[in-house]
Amino acid sequence: MNWWDDVMHRAVAEVVLVGALTGLIGVHVVVRRLSFFTMALTHATFPGVVAASIIGVNLLLGGVVTGTVVALGVAALTRRRGQDAAAATGVLVSGGFALGAALVATQSGFSRDLSSFLVGSILTVSAPDLVVTAVVLAVVALVLVLCSRPLLYAGFDPAGARASGVRAGGWDVVLLLTIVLVVVTVVPAVGTILALSMIVAPAAAARLWTDRLPVATLLAVTFAIASGLVGLYVSGRWNIAAGASVSLAATAVLVASWGLRRPRRIACGTRVRAVPA
Amino acid sequence: MTTAALRLDGVSVGYSGTPVVTGVDLELRPGQRLALVGPNGAGKSTLIKSVLGLAEILDGSATVLGHTPARARALTGYVPQTGNLDPDFPVSVRQVVMMGRYRQLGWWRPARAADRAAVREALDRVGLADRADVRFGLLSGGQRQRVLLARAIAAQPKLLLLDEPFNGVDAVSQEAIVRVLRELSAGGTALVLSTHDLAVARDLADLVCLINGRQWAVGTPAETLTAKPLRQTYGRSAIDLADGRMVLVEP
Repeated sequence: MNWWDDVMHRAVAEVVLVGALTGLIGVHVVVRRLSFFTMALTHATFPGVVAASIIGVNLLLGGVVTGTVVALGVAALTRRRGQDAAAATGVLVSGGFALGAALVATQSGFSRDLSSFLVGSILTVSAPDLVVTAVVLAVVALVLVLCSRPLLYAGFDPAGARASGVRAGGWDVVLLLTIVLVVVTVVPAVGTILALSMIVAPAAAARLWTDRLPVATLLAVTFAIASGLVGLYVSGRWNIAAGASVSLAATAVLVASWGLRRPRRIACGTRVRAVPA
Repeated sequence: MTTAALRLDGVSVGYSGTPVVTGVDLELRPGQRLALVGPNGAGKSTLIKSVLGLAEILDGSATVLGHTPARARALTGYVPQTGNLDPDFPVSVRQVVMMGRYRQLGWWRPARAADRAAVREALDRVGLADRADVRFGLLSGGQRQRVLLARAIAAQPKLLLLDEPFNGVDAVSQEAIVRVLRELSAGGTALVLSTHDLAVARDLADLVCLINGRQWAVGTPAETLTAKPLRQTYGRSAIDLADGRMVLVEP
């Protein structure tokens, strides 16, 4: 029997790839304070996925299209002075989900697919799914490495970046679209509701341990992959939904990091480093 | 005759077609220091952004080092206000100063010895060489301002624009910044800085431009920081002391 024919083997491979993907993008999401945007995205891609399923085209494509529309909308709103991007994003969360639910209601026999969309179905992942996740991982890693300087400059100091010729708004769009790609790719595995915890929790935990971006990225990827593997093991051992146990493991890493680092942070003001003897 | 570092002829600037400042006429030569003086909301930042090609020039003409503002960006440096920067952003002092070299480096070429030397030298000039590995957000307000100045120096600009560089800055940092600015202009760099501190303008500037929605006066500090133009610019906030000096009070 081929190694890939085993459901558990495929799930392990997917969890490792998804962990690497969410860890990589998660650091940017946390540092740029885009967690709420990412949550809106997970919900807003829902109608796109449902519509794609009804029309009979690739679900990933449906998610990418609606995600892109949302990302460009948010980018345009944040450029306008006096517009409250948080309010618009908040409306997108419920509006997107409502549209998806309405579309689902028009179809019969959709409810099982709906629940797998909410919490994911990592155990039904196929070999082609793995290839797609691996390709997206390679693309995202390439974008983040090649564009690290403009992304850093535009993220830290948009006005300074623009003054030195960096198109900060354009680079924001590049980052938002990269997040869209990640969200759409990981949603089938861990579900729309749980994708956010996989993206944000490991990165937020990593951020508590270091002030250095490359180290934080490495830690976030490690935390995310470890959460995935532990969650998968717990799921198989105690028969819990895999998406839920993976998300719970990621949350546990964040809680543990917070518990271990918080006292030290308080002891040194806002500074995260060992207390000198 | 040398090219003017900055020349504004009847310039109006603003956003989305709405003017913020109108009727600005001035000329700044290499090595000169210009202070833009006016109350909060007078349009000082907008005028600076227009010189960087980031705010619309609605009327008149602006020439920066012989080019249009957008085309002169490679020759200009900008020190923004530090208050708008996220102190939690995980970026070290050295990384911030290295951003000043990005234009020479491009997006993916590794930093060379010359870039690292420029960063070290810029940090040394602002007196923060020993803080290179500290996270930017852990520094005091004045030190952050000095780091942003070091970033601008690392790019070796011919015209440097500073937006309220002394806001919330301690005395030590203010002294360090003033010293570096004097050195830069002695080396031929033209400077534009916005401030609402008349003492700073009087002490540091060769030229003062009083603005509040429009240009009210331009000239040497002795010509401009006097009762009439200050009262025109600041209204009742400008108080004439008996000895001929002026002070500004909150309205």
